[in-house]
Amino acid sequence: MNATLALIGDTFREAFARRIFWGFFACCTALLLFLMFIMRVDVVQGALATVSIFGNSLTSTSPERLVRQTQSVIAMVMYFAGMALSVFASAGLVASVFEPGRIELLLSKPVSRPHLLLGRYAGNVLVVSANILYLVVGSWIIFGVKTGVWGTGFLLSSLCTIFIFAVLLAVIVLVGVLWDSSAVAIMVTFAIMIVTPILAAKSTIERLLSSEWSRDVVRTLYAILPKTWDVAVIIQRLIMKEPVASWEPLWTTAIFGLVVLACGLWRFQKRSF
Amino acid sequence: MTSEYAIETVYTRNRFVFKIFSSGWSKRELRAVDDISLKVPRGSTYGLLGPNGAGKTTFVKMLLSCAKPTSGLARVFGRDTREPEARRPIGYLPENHRFPTYMTGWDMLDFYGALSGMEKAKRRARIPELLNLVGLDERAHQLRLGKYSKGMLQRVGLAQALIHSPDLLILDEPSDGVDPVGRKQIRDVLQALEQKGVTIFLNSHLLAEVELFCREVAIIQKGKLALAGSVEALTQGSGYRVEGLNVPETLRSEVAVGARGVSSMNGTLQLMFATREQANHAVDLLRGGQCEIETFSRTRSTLEEVFMKTVDPQAVNE
Repeated sequence: MNATLALIGDTFREAFARRIFWGFFACCTALLLFLMFIMRVDVVQGALATVSIFGNSLTSTSPERLVRQTQSVIAMVMYFAGMALSVFASAGLVASVFEPGRIELLLSKPVSRPHLLLGRYAGNVLVVSANILYLVVGSWIIFGVKTGVWGTGFLLSSLCTIFIFAVLLAVIVLVGVLWDSSAVAIMVTFAIMIVTPILAAKSTIERLLSSEWSRDVVRTLYAILPKTWDVAVIIQRLIMKEPVASWEPLWTTAIFGLVVLACGLWRFQKRSF
Repeated sequence: MTSEYAIETVYTRNRFVFKIFSSGWSKRELRAVDDISLKVPRGSTYGLLGPNGAGKTTFVKMLLSCAKPTSGLARVFGRDTREPEARRPIGYLPENHRFPTYMTGWDMLDFYGALSGMEKAKRRARIPELLNLVGLDERAHQLRLGKYSKGMLQRVGLAQALIHSPDLLILDEPSDGVDPVGRKQIRDVLQALEQKGVTIFLNSHLLAEVELFCREVAIIQKGKLALAGSVEALTQGSGYRVEGLNVPETLRSEVAVGARGVSSMNGTLQLMFATREQANHAVDLLRGGQCEIETFSRTRSTLEEVFMKTVDPQAVNE
């Protein structure tokens, strides 16, 4: 337990030193302050009279929908833009562990290799989670206090975002173990983030393709790779309190993440430094 | 910890410790460590020597399970170092260490102490004691490692290796970048540890330092174990030295017959002989000529001479 806490603490310390944590924190704080100022709520005799967000006024019959739509926008910004930033920031945190002169010292300690890598992985997930939760819980409280709308969908969306980040971090770990390069890790992860939303439109792509084998390639890639777009749709439905058609994107993405992380651990276990 | 050896290499798959690196697409093989059989007795001070690229660092990395042997394996106090628990009694200072620059000296010792399984209370008590032991003052405790000089980094690195009071200390160039005063301090620390029974395995280019501190050495060349033994035995020369005072000129040429070296300084004639008989004959002649005998001893080689003879005999002969 001592070693796990030390590894997680070290990741936080490095994130603080590289200004990664504080950069995220400042962005989240700016977004929360922005939210506080753009929301105007008029209360008449204890009930919502009008709500305006981004200057658009709505009658008292639709504030909940408006709040959910706004939360959905925030969740999507956080999901795509925040994720890209997190990947960019985390790649360096993983690769730095494999630096010659640092890894030997870590490996000489009575800690197993999987333990070392998972400790770093967990620390990295927690660094990003702390900021995501700060933003989501902060804006959830602002919305709740100002409008009285306290849905849990927005809170659940943060867990989905953290989950997708954890899956993408597994890719960063695997690439880091294979090539010691944060640049390659960023490129591969960004490629996944770009390709997977395109693959989400597989039925349209399949219609456009002439050969069966190319359609098979698209289907296989869709089945294997994480379903970032489909998870984004799930997040939106959770926030909007709409029924989720299928949870399959979540568990297939989880399998991808586990397999990639296992490959990273296996390679790390076998590697000579 | 039942083994009488702190470090021993074990024979598996027809070899002792053996490591092949394959390079790139060509898959050209490089034998970094070639069938090295080594036993380091518990409580000894052992020096590992060799020219650059001889395979010393790869060998040390295999001892720590950082590098995976192609065949053979290493044991520390009888346990396979691939098991994490087997590495608990080891304190290690790597050569080209890269300590996290965002940590202070205190933070770093706390971090590596925690990884070594020490409880927080023990770490808190041990850290200031160690920082003072290696000669880092109070200001250095809270200074980020990025601001440390090379010598200070070596000192804090040594403190890191000692944090959990290890039974085996593996040091790769411990005094690299340290000034002479610092070297003496480090040597004093190591000598105190030796008194306590800690096994010290030193990988260093500074032959004089190894000769001064280590009781046993091994020399590696081109991945193979070229020579191993006690410093005392290895530096024991094969010849004899005779020094006489007030030797008259007439006697000098007579006693020098058979000598492989003759020198004279401040009235003292120094003669080097290959055999004891020749040396004794020279003593007889000197005593017969009423000369004083200042010295009669076996000649000694320096470790550097032994090293050079081992790794580059041609250069020595030339």
